[in-house]
Amino acid sequence: MTTSTVKQEKAGGSGTVNFLVGLVIVVVLAFLARWFKGLVYGVEDLFGLGIPGKVLEFPLWAALLGLIANPILKGIKVFDYAKPGFRTELFLKIGLVLLGAGISFKVIVTAAAGAIVQGIIMVSSVYFFSWWLGGKFGLPDTLRAVMSTAVSICGVSAAIAAAGSVLAKKEEITYVTALVIVTALPLMVIAPLIAGAMNMPEPVAGAWFGGNVDTTAAVVGAGTIYGETAQKIASIVKQTQNVLIGVVAFLLALYFTTVVEGKKEKPSAAIIWQRFPKFVLGFIIASLIFTFGWLATDPSAAIKGMKDWAFCLAFVCMGLELEVAGFKKMGWAPVIVYLIVTIFNTLLALGISWLIFGWLFPANL
Amino acid sequence: MKVKINEDWLATIIAFVLLLLAMVNFIKPEWVKF
Repeated sequence: MTTSTVKQEKAGGSGTVNFLVGLVIVVVLAFLARWFKGLVYGVEDLFGLGIPGKVLEFPLWAALLGLIANPILKGIKVFDYAKPGFRTELFLKIGLVLLGAGISFKVIVTAAAGAIVQGIIMVSSVYFFSWWLGGKFGLPDTLRAVMSTAVSICGVSAAIAAAGSVLAKKEEITYVTALVIVTALPLMVIAPLIAGAMNMPEPVAGAWFGGNVDTTAAVVGAGTIYGETAQKIASIVKQTQNVLIGVVAFLLALYFTTVVEGKKEKPSAAIIWQRFPKFVLGFIIASLIFTFGWLATDPSAAIKGMKDWAFCLAFVCMGLELEVAGFKKMGWAPVIVYLIVTIFNTLLALGISWLIFGWLFPANL
Repeated sequence: MKVKINEDWLATIIAFVLLLLAMVNFIKPEWVKF
């Protein structure tokens, strides 16, 4: 029996009921986020601070409401009961496949070419910098592996994949997951502001968000805040990077079994396919359907609406799933390492995305 | 044989069902306007 099953039994209720209760909470919060967005969107100057209302896009409201509801639900002892309905990854992946149905395959191919080059440079540089710095701070190898994979590839799912390969402790995964969300949420808001201040073209900004912000939900959020093209490029770049999860998981498993544990047998390369994010295939097929005009009618307005709803549900869940209790147990050294690596990641991604998407592979949408 | 669907496939299936429903105009744009 898994820990989550035990927790759920303590909280009471069957799995389906728990899921439905959680889903209702998420949907209500998403409606609230939509309402807040509508309330301020047309305002030219918020609170006399010179901030136009349209800057406060729905990802911000959704994540904020999730963060507010998080301690309230814990306080009234509903959180554990409803937790099965808080499914960031599921809602995000549904939204990404729907997003594919609005992107020409040519754009995916063009952007993916740049994204592959960017992904290889970013993932390898950030991974080894994080691994080296973690060593300097005396972090355990398993934590270094999970953290380096999370910060260099795509946050939560990469952390889980790496943890499986190196047999990391459960608290190390929880800890890195919390670190990812704590840094990704502010970056989701700050990165588009910086990009705006630098007059960054949308494809370059999208590539920067995709290479820099740690978790896919926050990447999509930053892209959504900056503009439609930025959202598309950010999603393509991040998904290209996500595809590397399997390769890194395999190499980690190989390193830990043969070098760290000194075993002779090698892990199977099948792990590359096992860890491959299959929804990316759905994203590509949806794009092909769109590109070849196989959509019998023009359902684009409906698809865009559903995509935004799916993303909004994901952003609410991201705020709900933040868990900071593990920070005290692990101490501050990993936090310092993670923050330094995030700054390194941000600056490197800025230069690389300008070079690749502004010059080498400009994505003309 | 027990077939286990992981989250990636589940998300893809749900998204394609939604796409199909939008294509046959079962889901109206005004219902899902964000």
